[in-house]
Amino acid sequence: MAIVAIQFIPVQRSNPPIPGDLVAPAPVKNTLRAACYDCHSNRTRWPWYGALAPASWLVVHEVSEGRRRLNFSDWISYTADPATASHKLEEIAEFVSSGKMAPWYYTILHPEARLSPAQRRMIASWARREAGRIAN
Amino acid sequence: MRFVHVVAFSAAMAAASSMLMPYGTQAADAPAFTIKAEGGHFSPSQLEVAANRPFKVLVISAEKTPIEFESFELRRERVVKPGETITVNMPALSPGTYKFFDDFHRDTPEGAIVVK
Repeated sequence: MAIVAIQFIPVQRSNPPIPGDLVAPAPVKNTLRAACYDCHSNRTRWPWYGALAPASWLVVHEVSEGRRRLNFSDWISYTADPATASHKLEEIAEFVSSGKMAPWYYTILHPEARLSPAQRRMIASWARREAGRIAN
Repeated sequence: MRFVHVVAFSAAMAAASSMLMPYGTQAADAPAFTIKAEGGHFSPSQLEVAANRPFKVLVISAEKTPIEFESFELRRERVVKPGETITVNMPALSPGTYKFFDDFHRDTPEGAIVVK
């Protein structure tokens, strides 16, 4: 009964407009889009279980937090302060190469977010190179 | 007639170049405000700035360890080493309150930029 009742509690599942997306080489962009964009962009592919409470609450929270910390769809805002963009890229390199991203619990239901060692190297290498370019 | 075309062309080019000008160049004359991190606090903890005008925030750290000046709403994230001063470019903002915090020391009270 409670499970049915909580379905009526509204949750905000939206994909806002995209102010200015990240520009990156196609292999990097495609990998980021497949593995990271569901939580770190305004192009979230909302999963079917994201429509059912209480799972929906967790999904919405994860996406909201992900977008707050790093939003590829609003990359243009970071680049307005180049040192911030450079710092974000260094963090991407660190989080991806260390395996902190994507979180293990996320990859259980989202195998597309599991990055191979080669994909991790590709993203980290690009991010460090781009961070250095912006910083100089 | 030709003179009119020259004037119109010049005006169009000037308008286009101002739109294409990098943000950093536009912000060269932007007003600057200072925030100091010291003793686990931001001082002042609240800045008041004018709406719809780019500005800069100089963040000075008098802390003994690095801090991370961060704002989710403003999409800014910068590490400031002890004794260092950094300049953070801010865009023209709509009226509202935009929080900032030290992500390395989450017990440091949050600050806010109030745009009026």
